[in-house]
Amino acid sequence: MLKTYFKITLRNLWRNKLYSFINIAGLAMGIAAFILILQYVSFEKSVNGFHENIATTYRLLNEDPKGQTWPQVEPGWAQKAKDRFPEIQAYCRFEEGVGQGIVRRNAENAEPFRETNVGYAEGNFFEFFSFNVLEGSAAAFKKPNVVFLSTATAKKYFGKAEPVGQSLTLYNQFGKANYTVSGVYDIPVNSDIRYDMVFSLETLSNPANLNDNDWAQLDNLSSQYIHTYFRINETADYKKLEQKLTTLRNELKKDKDGLVFRLQPFANVHLPASFSDTYQTSGNLKYVYILSIIAILILAIAWFNYINLSTANALKRANEVGVRKVVGASRGSLVLQFLGESMLVNLISFGLALLIVRLLQPLFNTIIEKELTFTSLLSTPAWVAGLVLLIIGSLLSGAYTAYSLSGFNPVETLKGKLVKTTKAVVLRKSLVVFQFSISIGLLLATAFIYRQLNYMQNKNLGVNTDQLLVIRGPQVDKDSTYKMRRTAFINAIAQQSFVKDYSLSGSVPGNGYNFATSGFSQPGSRKGDELKSFSFALIDDRYLNTYQIGLAAGRTFTQAETMVDWNDNDKVLMNEKAIEELGFKSPEEALNTKVQWDERKLQVIGVVKNYHHIGLQKAIDPIIFYPQSNSAYFTVRLQTDRIQDNVAQLETMFKSYFRNNPFEYFFANDNFNKQYISEQQYSKLFTTASVWAIIIACLGLFGLATYTVEARTKEIGVRKVLGANVLTIARLLSKDFLQLVFIAFVIAVPVVWYAMYRWLENFAYKVQLSWWVFAAAGIVAIGIALLTISFQAIKAAIANPVKSLRTQ
Amino acid sequence: MIKITNLEKYYRTEEVETVALNKLSFEIKEGEFVAIMGPSGCGKSTLLNIVGLLDDADGGSFMFNGIEVAGFNERKRADLRKHNIGFVFQSFNLIDELTVFENVELPLIYTGVKAADRKTRVEEVLDKMQIMHRRNHYPQQLSGGQQQRVAVARAVVNKPKLILADEPTGNLDSSNGNEVMQLLTDLNEQGTTIIMVTHSEHDAKYSHRIIRMLDGQTVTENILV
Repeated sequence: MLKTYFKITLRNLWRNKLYSFINIAGLAMGIAAFILILQYVSFEKSVNGFHENIATTYRLLNEDPKGQTWPQVEPGWAQKAKDRFPEIQAYCRFEEGVGQGIVRRNAENAEPFRETNVGYAEGNFFEFFSFNVLEGSAAAFKKPNVVFLSTATAKKYFGKAEPVGQSLTLYNQFGKANYTVSGVYDIPVNSDIRYDMVFSLETLSNPANLNDNDWAQLDNLSSQYIHTYFRINETADYKKLEQKLTTLRNELKKDKDGLVFRLQPFANVHLPASFSDTYQTSGNLKYVYILSIIAILILAIAWFNYINLSTANALKRANEVGVRKVVGASRGSLVLQFLGESMLVNLISFGLALLIVRLLQPLFNTIIEKELTFTSLLSTPAWVAGLVLLIIGSLLSGAYTAYSLSGFNPVETLKGKLVKTTKAVVLRKSLVVFQFSISIGLLLATAFIYRQLNYMQNKNLGVNTDQLLVIRGPQVDKDSTYKMRRTAFINAIAQQSFVKDYSLSGSVPGNGYNFATSGFSQPGSRKGDELKSFSFALIDDRYLNTYQIGLAAGRTFTQAETMVDWNDNDKVLMNEKAIEELGFKSPEEALNTKVQWDERKLQVIGVVKNYHHIGLQKAIDPIIFYPQSNSAYFTVRLQTDRIQDNVAQLETMFKSYFRNNPFEYFFANDNFNKQYISEQQYSKLFTTASVWAIIIACLGLFGLATYTVEARTKEIGVRKVLGANVLTIARLLSKDFLQLVFIAFVIAVPVVWYAMYRWLENFAYKVQLSWWVFAAAGIVAIGIALLTISFQAIKAAIANPVKSLRTQ
Repeated sequence: MIKITNLEKYYRTEEVETVALNKLSFEIKEGEFVAIMGPSGCGKSTLLNIVGLLDDADGGSFMFNGIEVAGFNERKRADLRKHNIGFVFQSFNLIDELTVFENVELPLIYTGVKAADRKTRVEEVLDKMQIMHRRNHYPQQLSGGQQQRVAVARAVVNKPKLILADEPTGNLDSSNGNEVMQLLTDLNEQGTTIIMVTHSEHDAKYSHRIIRMLDGQTVTENILV
C-alpha cells in the first residue's frame, strides 16, 4: 500500500508541476531559513559548553545599586576569598584590553603588529579552562614573561618555524618586555574567551614590570580591571558564597562604593538563563529570540502555503478520493495517504533546503558575523528540538489537508460537484492574511531599522568627519628621542600640500573617551554635583579646528598650554552639556569660572558646542577637554581625491620617524559608523528575512491565484460572453486577494508600531514612526501582491471564452 | 439479497427540501440482473448510492444479506462495501495517476490481499477483460471502451456479490457499449447480482427485470425473463 501511495504522490507532484514547484520551493526556502537560524541558536547555546568544569565554575561580578553588573573586578579579591572561604577550590584571573600593544618578533627586520585581542592571564589558565594546549605544557604558563600563542598567531609570527622557545617583545602601557613563547593552544570557535596571544599575569607581580602603573598591582583592591573566575565545591551554595564575598568586600574596602559581589554561573556567562537574569553577558538573548521567532514565522508561512495550495487543489483530488472510497478505502487509510504525501513533500523540501543552506551559508555568516558551519547545528541538542518542530509542523500541515480531503463525500465528488466548503475558504483566507501580516510586518520593521540607521549615519554630528584620516600613534621605541621625532613627523605632515589640517589627541570621535571621572563642582553648584560623571578627552590646540567643532564661548587651547605637565595644568574646555550639568545657565556664565576637581582648580577657558563624540544610541555626554599633546592619534584632514597616494606618502613618513611601529590608519567617518554594526546587522537581517518571507508568501499567493482562476474559468467565460472586458475580469479576480493583503496590513501596523517604538527606545536620537512609512510599506506590499496575482488574472481575462466554456 | 422498505431520502438546501426517495420499497434476489429506469431526477442515482452504501437514507429499512444496514456509520459501510460491492460508473472514474494494473489492484489493496495474490488476480481479470496488453498504460492513453473495461475489471476483481452500474454505457459508442453489456451479462451468468441504472431501453433489455421510477417512487416493474 505504501508503495502505491509513494507512486501516486510522485506522479501527482509531476503532473501538477507548478503546484509542486510552489509547494516544494516555498517549504525548502522556509526550512532553509529555519536551519540557518537554528545553526546560530545552537551555536549560541553551545558557547563555553566545552569546559569540563563549567557546572562548578562561577564568574565574579561587581553590581552597583542600580543593578548594573560588570565583570571587571579588583585583582586582590581572588586570593583573599580563597584564603577565607574553603569552598573555593581554585580561581583564575585574566584581563581583556589592558595588555593591548604592539608585538614584534625578536629578529632582524621582523614586522611589528598591533595586537588588540591579547591579555594577561593567571598561571593556571590552561588548567582551569579546558583549552587545548597543542605544544608546550600547560604548567609552563605559571612562570613570568611567558607567552602562549593561538595556532593562527603562531603562524603569523613564525610561519612554519617552531614557535616554542622563540621570543617576542611586547610594547604596551607597561613598557617594553620580552616574553618567551612556551606554548601553542587551540581555542574552539564557541569559546567566549578567545585570545590571539596570552601573557603570563605572573609577569605583573614584579613591580619592576609595572612601569609605574601602580593601579595594576595584583593584590590591589581598588582598580577594577580583571576578570575573576572561581571553581567551588560541588556541594557549596554559590548564593551563600556570594553574600560572604560581599561581606568580605565591605570589611576590607575602606572607601565604601556601595557595590556588591555577584557570582554568575559560567554556563550563563554567554546567554542568561532567562530575560529576568540581568547580569552582563557576552551573548544577546534578545537577538537569539528574535531570530528564532523569525525562523518559525517564515517556516509557518511556508507550511500555510502547503495547506492553502493542497486544499485549493482538492478540486483535482476529489475524484481520486471518491474512487478510492468507492473501492473500499476507509477514511483512516486516506488520511494516512495524504499525510504520507505531505511527509514526502516535506522530505523533498528538506533535502533541497540542505542544498540552499550550503549555498547561502556564506551570506548568512556575513549577516550574523559568525563563522557557522553545518556542524554548529549538531553541537547542542537544539537540533533535536528543531527536527521535532519540523516533523510536527509537517505532520500538522499535512494532517489538516488529509483531514479535509479524506472527508469528501464520494457521491458528490464522483458527480464532479464542486467541493467548496465555506470553512476551508475562511481558513485559506485567514492563512493568507497571517502570511502577509508577517511579511508586511518584517517589511515595515526593515524600513524603520533602515531609516534609523540612515538617520544615525547622516545626522549632523556637530563634527565634520569627512576626509579625516586618523593614524594610530606609535608605541614602540618611545625613548629619549621620541619627542623630537614626533615633532619632526608633525612638521613633515604640516608641509604636505594635501594636508588641510592636523591634530594630536588622546581620543577621537567614535573611539570613546580617555576616561570618565567624578569629583567636579563649581562655586554655584548644588550638593551631589560632585558625584556626576564627566568624560575626559585629551586634545591639542588644533583638535577643534581639525574636526571643525564649534565654540559656544571663549577660545581653544594655545600650543603652549598643551605642553604644560598634567598636574600643572589649570585650564580646561567643557562642552555645553558639561556646563549644564554643573549648573551654569549659559556658556558666558561658565566662561573663566574656576571649576573644582577634587583638590585642583581648573579655569574654563572655552565652551565647546555639543557634538557627538560617540554613537547616536547615547545622548551627548558631558565632556571635559584637557590640554595634552597626546599622541595616541594623529588626525589629518585631506584636501585631495588622491587618497591612496596620500596614505602611501604618510606611511613612508611615519615609518621613517617611527621605525618598528606598524602604520595603522582609519577614516574618521568609517570609524564612527562602526558603532552602528549592531544596527547594520539588524538591518541586514530584517532585509533578508522580509525578502525571504515575501517571496514565500507570494509563491503561495501565485499558486492560489492560479487555482482560483482555474476554478472560476467557467464564470469568467460566461462573464466574457455577456460582455465583460479584460479589466473588469482582472479586477474581479484580484479584488478578493487584495482585500486579504489589506487586512494583513491593518493587522501588521499596530504590532510593528509597538515593536519599533520599543526598539527606538534604545536610541537617544531617533526617527519618527511616520505614518507615510507605514503607508509606503502598505503600498509596496499591495503592489507586490497585485503583481503576483495579475499575471494569472490577466491571463484568464484575455483567454478565449469559447475555450474556457468548453473545458467545463 | 436486498430488501428495501419505505426508504426515504431528502436533500435540503437553505430554502427548499427536495424528496429524492419517497417511501420506496422493493426486493432484489441474489443472482438477479435488475435495471432501474426513469427520467432525470427521479431518484435513480440516489437509490444506487444508498444501495451501494455510499450514502445513507433518512428513513425506512435497508436489509443487505439479511442485515439491517440503514443505521450503519461510514466505517461499517465502507467495510461492508469493500468486500461485497463493485461499482461501474458512466464516467469510468479511474485514477489518472495510476496505471491500468494499479487501478484494478486498488480494491485488493484495501481489502488487504497480499502482493503476490494481487498480481495473480489482477492479471487474471485483465486477461478476462482482454486488456492485459494495456496493463502499464495510464487511463488517458486508452479509448473509452477500454477505460470502461478497466473499470469493470476493477469492479469485479474483488469478486463482489453485487455490482452496481450507473449508466455504464453512457459515455460509449454502441459497439463498445454492447461489449460492456455483454461483460455484465457474463458476470451475472457466473452468479453476480447486478443492479444497473440506465436511460437506454436497449441496455435494459439485457436485464431480467426493469424497475421504473418517478418522483422517488417505483411506478412499474417489468419482468423480462
